[in-house]
Amino acid sequence: MKATETADVELRIPRRPEFVRVARMAARAVAAQLDFTYDLIMDIELAVGEACTNSVEHVSLESCREVFTRFSAEPDRLVIEVIDHGQGFDPERPGGEGGGGLGLDVIRGVMDEVYIECGEGGGTRVRMVKYRPKG
Amino acid sequence: MTTQLTVESRREEPNLAVLSLMGEVDVANVPQVREEALRLLAAGVKGLVVDLGGVEYMDSSGLGMLVGLQKRMREADGKLALASPRPRVERLLDITGLARIFAVYEDVEGALKEVAG
Repeated sequence: MKATETADVELRIPRRPEFVRVARMAARAVAAQLDFTYDLIMDIELAVGEACTNSVEHVSLESCREVFTRFSAEPDRLVIEVIDHGQGFDPERPGGEGGGGLGLDVIRGVMDEVYIECGEGGGTRVRMVKYRPKG
Repeated sequence: MTTQLTVESRREEPNLAVLSLMGEVDVANVPQVREEALRLLAAGVKGLVVDLGGVEYMDSSGLGMLVGLQKRMREADGKLALASPRPRVERLLDITGLARIFAVYEDVEGALKEVAG
């Protein structure tokens, strides 16, 4: 895809562990369409996997059954949003079993910009940016 | 639908084992790995090497599982070592700062010496 072109890809997955891989594969495919190196594609896949895993592990099933991911390819960057409509969480104290806060550390470690919004009425939006290599 | 992962274990000695992971380790199959590792602990294994040479992808779910496993090994006066991590897994260990809490070896043989000592 040319650097001057823009494109949006949207994905909605069931909020279940086995579907996190679907979002990861989508992330890999979208990043491969842009001019990211192999290592950066793997970083983007990892970040999306972590954000979806966070939704799977820290949100109650009753309050949220789907995770929504939007990939927006812009001329100089790839913007990814992972959104759930669960009860939200404190990004400074995500807690829980398994990775706990590790997942957010990983996202912050591999993406250029990370914003986490937790709405008062519930729902979490993880917005991640990766700048495209300059040609 | 399952994430692609093969988990194999072998005993080197009665209390020494190698747990080999091949494929992708994520939130969908971490319980499978944990279950096999805990089975080995329950069977009296005191030295465990997790061979990561075949792991193409791992996320924080996998790392969290390894941290928990290391804690359990220590509580049981046992030792855990990681062997042969690929660059992607090494990067994950570095990003999270967990590289310093694990004994990490280039190959299984070196890791086995660590946990047998």
